[in-house]
Amino acid sequence: MELGKTTTIKLILGLQKITKGKVQINGFDVEKQFTKAIEKVGAIVENPDLYMYLSGYENLKLISNLYHGIDENRINEVIKLVKLDNRIHDKVSKYSLGMRQRLGIAQAILHRPSLLILDEPTNGLDPEGIKEMRELLIKLAKKEKMAILISSHNLAELDNLCNKVCIIKNGKIIESSSIEKIKNEVNSEYKIFEIDDTSKIKNLLPQAILLSPNQFKINLPKEKTPEMVAKLVINNVLIYGIMEDEKSLEDIFFEKTGGNVIE
Amino acid sequence: MSNLIKNELTKIFKKKGIYITLIVILGFIILTNCIYKYFYDDGDYSYYSEGYINYVNEEIAKLDPTKPSDTSLYIELKTTLDIYELLQKYGEHSWQAQVINNQVFTYITERNTYLYGIDKNEEKVGEINKEIDTIIEKLDQDDWMYFALEEQNTAEEKIKDLEEAIKNTEDKQQLESLELELTNAKIDLEVANYRVNKKIKYGDDYLNIALNSYGSDSKSLEQMKASKQDLSYEEQQEYNSYLKNIATNKYVIENNVDIYKQNDIRGIFSSFFNQYGLFIIAMVIIVAGTIVSEEFNKGTIKLLLVKPYTRNKILIAKFITMLIIIAFSIISAIVMELIVGGIFFGYDSLSIPILEYDFTNNTLLEINVFKYLGIQLLAQLPIVILLATLAFALSTIFTNSAVAIALPLLGYMGAQIINVLAVEYNVKFMRFFVTLNWDFTSYLFGNLPMMEGLTAPLSASVCIAYFVIMLIPTFIVFKNKDIKNI
Repeated sequence: MELGKTTTIKLILGLQKITKGKVQINGFDVEKQFTKAIEKVGAIVENPDLYMYLSGYENLKLISNLYHGIDENRINEVIKLVKLDNRIHDKVSKYSLGMRQRLGIAQAILHRPSLLILDEPTNGLDPEGIKEMRELLIKLAKKEKMAILISSHNLAELDNLCNKVCIIKNGKIIESSSIEKIKNEVNSEYKIFEIDDTSKIKNLLPQAILLSPNQFKINLPKEKTPEMVAKLVINNVLIYGIMEDEKSLEDIFFEKTGGNVIE
Repeated sequence: MSNLIKNELTKIFKKKGIYITLIVILGFIILTNCIYKYFYDDGDYSYYSEGYINYVNEEIAKLDPTKPSDTSLYIELKTTLDIYELLQKYGEHSWQAQVINNQVFTYITERNTYLYGIDKNEEKVGEINKEIDTIIEKLDQDDWMYFALEEQNTAEEKIKDLEEAIKNTEDKQQLESLELELTNAKIDLEVANYRVNKKIKYGDDYLNIALNSYGSDSKSLEQMKASKQDLSYEEQQEYNSYLKNIATNKYVIENNVDIYKQNDIRGIFSSFFNQYGLFIIAMVIIVAGTIVSEEFNKGTIKLLLVKPYTRNKILIAKFITMLIIIAFSIISAIVMELIVGGIFFGYDSLSIPILEYDFTNNTLLEINVFKYLGIQLLAQLPIVILLATLAFALSTIFTNSAVAIALPLLGYMGAQIINVLAVEYNVKFMRFFVTLNWDFTSYLFGNLPMMEGLTAPLSASVCIAYFVIMLIPTFIVFKNKDIKNI
């Protein structure tokens, strides 16, 4: 799926020439004041490409040489943070993908960046790895006060992790705001009712959408819920449960983009 | 900047490649020293091989000395056989062999001419045989000084005769040829005097080689001086080489040191770049050809490019790293040769200086081996730097290590052929081609460069021009390169 995620990240990091518009980080233009703009940025682009013939520690040491004021303590602190203490002196070529991903993050946060840019950080990780990565990123955001920019097509993942999303379709941003806001906007006031038999409500509630033999969905403002319950009870419908129909990010994505159409 | 360079060096020295290359070079150095020690043949040639003698025997059987058409060939072959027979008695490397080849040869040719030729003369044959017998007696007595004194006398007498003749000659042309003959005779006398005074026994050792070439080069030089015509460029080069050889050989004779000896540590150091240049260049090119392209191929370039350094700085750091690797390669080759050569030959020969002739004020310079090595390497450094820069440029522009390594190596090997052709056919426009200009050794000590029209400033300009032409596009391409998906 080439939707322009990686390209966007490359443009932000100055890895590709910007043909139109401009990118500013901390108020510095990436093209004109590259070194100042990039100074407080850490990044992994595509795969965590590290020097395979070096150990994890040697990789971090190399990166630390490129910034001022990263001492042994900081390196060790980061190693602990990404939980690589046991294998840090092994060659990177012997690492699993998850470990490489974590080492990639370690090298990106060594210099305490204010912006961390990650390109599909959970790509290729096993479920446990994904969970660890999620915890790590939340910890970084809270403890080290980093803004984290993640590109991903794993929407469930982002739903769990992010405050703000930005949906890109065919290279154009079609939505950019906080997840909650989007959800509120999109979520109409549908409620899902679980009952004994949906055939009973066919005539009673013609506007209801039947989901299964004992589930239906209906547009219902909060304050009208007791009224509806009373109505059903009177008509001998057995109610087992009422839920809010919360949309996932995935649903919103498809609603916004109209599916994956490459024009 | 310095931390970028430090990182580049760390990356290079943490890889196995550089150590494998070093081991290969060490292996080659050991092999070279081993061959010089155990297989080097110091001009140890045979005058007459057995096969040749068999051939002569077969040929001579076919000839009839009484037939006028066969006579001269018969005399020649018969002489060869007679000489061979004599040589067998003393051995081909004895001092007697040299006397036989020089002096006895003329007697035997003369005798055989009277014996088999058209004017047969029994009396003369007898006379000459008597003389040959005297010579052989002296040879048997191991009395080489007899021949040396004989040479001295002959030369002295010849000089007297010639001086007399010059006094009585009016004809200008004849006078000129007589004068040339006189100088030649004087040179012969000088050579004979050297032999007697320095007690140089005949043989085929370095002293005899030096003495003989001293004589023949001096004669050639005098002949060139005597000719009134302007010298062509090749003749000037020849003239210079005579000057140098005469001075060097004189030094060898007077100081009794084997300046030309190749098979010891000093000999190897004196031609260090010729021996190991290809290996030094290969090592440098392997590093220069991968230093940028490998990071692109493995994707690690992204790590570097998102750091707070401009792309120019990153590339400059890599280029400087490459220059450091050049120094490292040369120094490690020198150290390895110093150790291996020391084990094979010891270090005694290092105290013998290397001789260079300074053409600007016509003096012979005695140069310490290491100083000489340093001067030579500095003069040849442009070769290494330009080839490494080519590899570096290709590596950056095409991000293809194979191309970046193969092309400069091909270029280095091709250069030697191209240079020979350009000089041989005097291709004028090739003066601006880099391979004719990148070796500055020929400008040292005021010598003439290999092709007419080449000068040190021209060569320096050509080298700098090529250097800049290679680097500018490299930096432009690197600065504007988009990082594609890897």
